[in-house]
Amino acid sequence: MTRETAYCFAADLGGTKLAAAIADGQGRIVAELTEPTDPRGAAYVAEQIAACADKLARTLGIDVTRARHVMVGIPGAIDPRTGRVSLTPNITGLEDFDVLGFLRGRFGPDVAIENDVNLAMLGEHALGCASRCRNAAFLSLGTGVGLGLLIDDKLVRGARGSAGEIADLPIGRDPASQIPCASGSFELEVGSHAILDRYRRAGGTAAATVRDIFSLLQQGDVVAATVLDSTARWVALAVATLQSLLDLELIVFGGSIGVRPELYERVQRVLPALFSRPITIAPSRLGDRAGLIGAAWAAGQPLRQNPESVQ
Amino acid sequence: MTALMPSAPITSVTRQLSRRSVFEALLHRSPISRADLAKVTSLSKQTMSEVIDAFEQQGLVRPVGRTSGNVGRTAVLYELSPEGGHALGIDLGARRLTVALTDIAGRVLAEADEPTDSRGGTWTLDQIARLSDRLARDNHTHPSRIRSIVMATPGVVNPKSGAIEMAPNITGLDHLNVVGLLGEKLGSPVVLENDINLALLGEIWHGCAQNVGNVAFLALGSGVGLGLYMNGRLVRGENGAAGEIGYLPIGGDPLQAESRLQGCLEYQVGATGVVRRYREAGGSDVDSEREVFERAQAGEAIASYVVDETARLIALAAAAVIATVDPQLLVLGGSVGARPDFADKVARVLLQLVPRPVEIRTSTLGRRAGVVGALSVALRRLHDEFFGVAEFAAALPLPPPARVGAQQ
Repeated sequence: MTRETAYCFAADLGGTKLAAAIADGQGRIVAELTEPTDPRGAAYVAEQIAACADKLARTLGIDVTRARHVMVGIPGAIDPRTGRVSLTPNITGLEDFDVLGFLRGRFGPDVAIENDVNLAMLGEHALGCASRCRNAAFLSLGTGVGLGLLIDDKLVRGARGSAGEIADLPIGRDPASQIPCASGSFELEVGSHAILDRYRRAGGTAAATVRDIFSLLQQGDVVAATVLDSTARWVALAVATLQSLLDLELIVFGGSIGVRPELYERVQRVLPALFSRPITIAPSRLGDRAGLIGAAWAAGQPLRQNPESVQ
Repeated sequence: MTALMPSAPITSVTRQLSRRSVFEALLHRSPISRADLAKVTSLSKQTMSEVIDAFEQQGLVRPVGRTSGNVGRTAVLYELSPEGGHALGIDLGARRLTVALTDIAGRVLAEADEPTDSRGGTWTLDQIARLSDRLARDNHTHPSRIRSIVMATPGVVNPKSGAIEMAPNITGLDHLNVVGLLGEKLGSPVVLENDINLALLGEIWHGCAQNVGNVAFLALGSGVGLGLYMNGRLVRGENGAAGEIGYLPIGGDPLQAESRLQGCLEYQVGATGVVRRYREAGGSDVDSEREVFERAQAGEAIASYVVDETARLIALAAAAVIATVDPQLLVLGGSVGARPDFADKVARVLLQLVPRPVEIRTSTLGRRAGVVGALSVALRRLHDEFFGVAEFAAALPLPPPARVGAQQ
C-alpha cells in the first residue's frame, strides 16, 4: 500500500467569479486560480469546479485523485438536513442541482459544501483578524449582503441553514410596505444596486458602478460623499442590531464594499451615537480570499483531527 | 467523541465514568434491577454491584420493590433516593419572588411564591432566604441537604462585584454583593443567571421547546428581552449581554437620548412605553400596561391602536432575530408576550416580514418558566458535582417532565 500525502481541494463559488485552490493536509494553500463563473448555469459551473481541480493538480504535478478532502463555498443557504441549496439568485439552476452529489461523484465521500460567508468567517477565525475571538461575525457587503456567525468558536448555521441571511433584516424604509418578500429590506438599502440608485437619485451622473463612486469620492465629489454617508448609516444600524442580539467581540467587514475604508470608517464614526457600549469592527484581513482560505482550512479539518486516516 | 488518553489517573476516571453511566441509567429508567442496569450500561455485573453498593451507602439509591411476572427468581428494583441531595431554584422578579425545590432525580417537590419585597436591597435578600428556608422545612428537608442553588434575576450580574446591574425595576441590588451575601444566608454557593435565559431553559426542560436545538425566546412584560439557544447551548455573548434587544434600533429614533439610555425598542414596548404611548394617543388614565391590553381586548379603539403598534414592533424584532440566527422555533413569553391575542397579532405581522415562516409558540410555563429553568441548571450542577468528568464537557441529560410528580 502506498502512503501518499493527501491534499485538500477548496473552491469559493461566486456569481461572477470562481476561485479554487489545492491545499496541503494542514489546509495551507499551495496553488490557486481564479476564473469567471460559467454563465450557463449550475451544471456547467459544477463541471468548471471539477476542471479547476484538474488544472491545479497538473500545475503541482500530482494526480487529482489525491485531493480527497473537499470543501466548496456556495453563495446561498444550505439546509443542514437535506443539503438543498436555496437563495442563490446569481447562479441559474443551482437550487435544483445536486451540487453535493455531483462533487461526491467526482471526488469521493469526503466532500462538503458550506455557505461562502460562513467560510469567510472561518478563514478570518483560523488565519485572519478574528483568530483570538470566540464570538464574532463576518459581515459581507457587495452586490448582496450576508453574514457568517461564530458563537463560542462554532459556526451558527440556523435550523434551515439560513442564519445570517440578513438581506431580510428589517432595517431600511418600512419593510411592511409593498416590498415583495423575495428580497429583503436591508439589502434594498445597502446592496450595490441600492447604492447606485441612491447616487442617481441624489443627482449624480458620473458613476456607473459602486467602484466609480469610491473613485469620485477620492476626487472630492460631494454627491458620492453623501451617498456613502447614508449607506454607512444603514450599515451602522445593522451592526447595532447584531450587537444587541449577540454581544460580539468583533464584526469583520468584508465583501467588495465592506472592505473599503471609506465605508467602514464612516460606520465606525456613526456607531458611538447609536449604541452605548463599544462595538469593535475591523476590515477583513484576508480580503477577497477569505472564503477560499476558510474553505481550504475547513477541508483540512478531517486531516488535522485524525492524521492516521491519511493513507 | 474524544478518546481518553491513557494516563496515571485512568482508574479513577474509569470509575467515575462507570458511576456516571449507572447514575444516568437510574435517572432515566428507574425503577430498574441490577441485571438491567448492567445490560443498559454494558458494565460487568461485578462493577455494577460495586457501584450500586456504594450508591446505597451514600444514600443515592434505594430499593423500591421486586420484579414480577417473570420466570425464575425476582430481582430487587432500585430508584434514586429523594435523600440523595436537593437543588433549589429561585426566580427573583420585580413583582414576584418564586422558589422551588427538586430532588436529585428531578422531581419537583414544592414551589412557593409571594410578592417581592418592594423595599429592595437586603430586605429582598432576607426575603429570599426566609422563603427558601420555609420551603425546605415544609418538605422536611434540612437546608444542609440543598447542595445546588441557582437564581434567575433581571439585569446583568457583575462577575467582579457580585452585584446585579441594569435591573431598574429592583432597587438596591446594584451596590450589594448579592452572590456573596445570598450564599452566606442560604449556607451554600448561589449561581446567578439572567432570568430570560433561564425562562428559555425552563421551556426547553418542561415547556413548549422540548427537544428543539435552535430556539429563540422573546419575552415581553415590564421590559423586553431575548434568550437564544443555538447549536444546543445558550448564547451568552462576549460580556453576557447577548439578547439585550431593548437596544435594537427599532420603533423610534435610535439617536434620541431616551433610546440610548433605555434602549430604542424598550422605550416603546416596555411597560412604561406602552402606557406613555396610550396617553399620548389620547387614552385616559391607566395603572399599568396590563390595563391597556385589557381595554384593547374589550375593543377600545385607542388601546387597540397602541397594542397593534406594540405587536408590529415586536414582530420587527422577531424578524431581525430570524434573519440573523434562523431559529427552528420562536417562543413568545412574558406577561404580555404570552397572551394569545397578542401572539396572534405578532404572528400575522411576521408573515409579511419574513419570507419563510418560522413556527411560533407561546410559553406554556408562563411565569413559572424562570424558576423551572433555574431548577434545571441547579439540577445539572448537582449532577455534575457528583458525576462530573473533566473529559466530558457535556452535562448529563435531564429526565423529561413526564417523570415529574408535582407538575400541574
